[in-house]
Formats: sequence, structure tokens, C-alpha cells
Amino acid sequence: MTSGIDQFARNAASDPFFLGSALADYAASEHLDDAGLAASLGCREELLTPLRLCRRPRTEPSLFRADIEAIVGRFAVNADTLAEAVRRSDALRRLRGTAAHGDGMLMAARDREPNGDGTESTS
Amino acid sequence: MTPLQLGTLSLPDGRDLHARLLAYDPVAPSDLAMAYFEPLTAWLEALYPRLYPHECATAAGDAIMALIKNPHSYKPERQRRESLLSYLRMSATAKLSNLLRAERRHGNRRANLDAVALSPVMGKYLGDEDADPARIVERREEESAASTPPPLPDSLRATLSPVEIEMLRLMDLKERKTIVFARLLGIADQPVAEQRREVKRAKDRLHKRRQRAGTDHD
Repeated sequence: MTSGIDQFARNAASDPFFLGSALADYAASEHLDDAGLAASLGCREELLTPLRLCRRPRTEPSLFRADIEAIVGRFAVNADTLAEAVRRSDALRRLRGTAAHGDGMLMAARDREPNGDGTESTS
Repeated sequence: MTPLQLGTLSLPDGRDLHARLLAYDPVAPSDLAMAYFEPLTAWLEALYPRLYPHECATAAGDAIMALIKNPHSYKPERQRRESLLSYLRMSATAKLSNLLRAERRHGNRRANLDAVALSPVMGKYLGDEDADPARIVERREEESAASTPPPLPDSLRATLSPVEIEMLRLMDLKERKTIVFARLLGIADQPVAEQRREVKRAKDRLHKRRQRAGTDHD
């Protein structure tokens, strides 16, 4: 049976403020259930609850590294997998964000605007 | 940073936790929630035994979430007398009040729309306004506001345990149920007669200590 704090952590995973959101994106992209996610991170399944409730690492590279290290230092999870989970989630969210604005995917398929000299613009 | 085992974070670490929240420590929200969610939920359940546990859990979660998102809302320098736990209790009570008020509004709308086919929850409250959980919380707040006791002097407060401070607060709110105090004292599993005796003894002791400190408002 799911305890109150487990449920609270699962709810928090819908909020991008929390690491739980990144773990959820990663688990979905890898088709992992909780046991699979825990195995991938190299931790016990019950550790997923406090992990989900951590703040999502900041994006600026030095802060990102420091935040990942702080989380790994506390929970002894696999640093590479954790960093990969957050980066992948960031990428997925960026993709969803641009798609939600309606121009991201279309821009990728659109011909580049020609410059005055006949070459294509790279911007 | 020293790794902590689950469940070993003691509540007195509130100030440190708050400082870590302000410093963007990524583990601080987790530590806060893991340390305070269950005690806060249990406290609300003890205080409002007629409510559903999930309502108390939601209010506790909302209070913790609000502090995580806006740690500046807690000002330890202004609230020196109030621990982080006390602050969260106040916040959770307010969240619970809002939650129940919203549920009641929703219930009223449903009742208007479908006065015949009542849900069990609606049936519980209709015709018995006093049994409405939102009213219970509101009434407690009104009673508290109407008869706010003088604040405890620091000299007395310093000698009281958190449980005793909470007992005094409940006594000021005119809480009469033995079970509420028994839960606070951790004797809810004992026979009722024993609970009554222990609760009375604890209350009498607190009355006397407050009288001696000259702040008993009864």
C-alpha cells in the first residue's frame, strides 16, 4: 500500500521543480517501472521517495554538477545515470515546450531563408 | 555532507533545514518533507479526528509544498518563539480550513443540483451544520481568536516540552476530548480510564505551572 509520503512524492513528480519530474521522464523514456528505475540508479526502491522530493538540479553547468554531487553524496545513487536522467528530461521538456509553441518541429522541416548572395542562412 | 539514513532526521533541525532551503540545497526539500510530512499529518488527524485522513495529508502536503516553494515565508528571526514545526502546523491548519471550505462550496453546488441523490459525504453534513469539518475548523479558529490567552512568558516556555506547549495550546482552544491529548502524550493505546487519569494529571500540572508564571487566563 502506498504511504502518504510516497503519494506526496508521486504528486510532486508532476512539478518540474522536483527531481521526481526528471526521474518520471527518464523512466517513461526507458520504459522502466519503479523497480527498474531504482536498479538503473543503483539504489533501493524505497529511496525513490526521498529522491523524487529533491529539488531538480539547476541547469548552469557548475551548479548542475554541484547539485548532482549533493544528491549523490546523500543517496549514493549512480551519478552518471542521475545526470543523464536530468539532461534527457531537460531535452524532452525543451522539445515539448517548443512543440507547444507550435514552431519547433515545423522550423526543423522548413527550408532555410536564402541570403542575398544566394547562400542559405544558418541562423 | 554526511549521508543521513531515512527517518533519522530529528525535528529540531528545523532552522538548519530552513537555511538549506534558502541556500538552494537540492536535498533540503526532500529532508523537509521526509521529516515533517508524517508528524504534521498525524498532528492534524489527532486534532481533527472527525476528518478523513486524506484531507489531513493533503493539508500537510500543501503546507510543506508552500514552504519549499517560498522558504522566505518563514522568518525565524521574527518568529523566534515558533519552531518550524509550529509554523508548519499553523500553515497546515490554514490549508485545511481552505480545503474544507472549497469542498463545502463544491458540496453545496452539488446539493443544489442534485438534492435528492446525495452522496454519503453530503449526507453526513446536510442537516447537521456542526458536523461539517469546515465548520469544525472554523469554529476552532473563531474560539481561538475570541479567547486568545496571554502569550507564555519565555521563562515558562523555556521549561516546557513541545508536547506541553501543544497541550496548552489545545487547552486554550477548549479542546475537551481525552483522546486528542492522549495521542499527544503517546498513551492512546492504553485503557481509557488510564488515559483519562494521565491526561488530567498532565493538564493539572500545566495549569499549576501557568498559574505560578502568572499567565493563567481561566
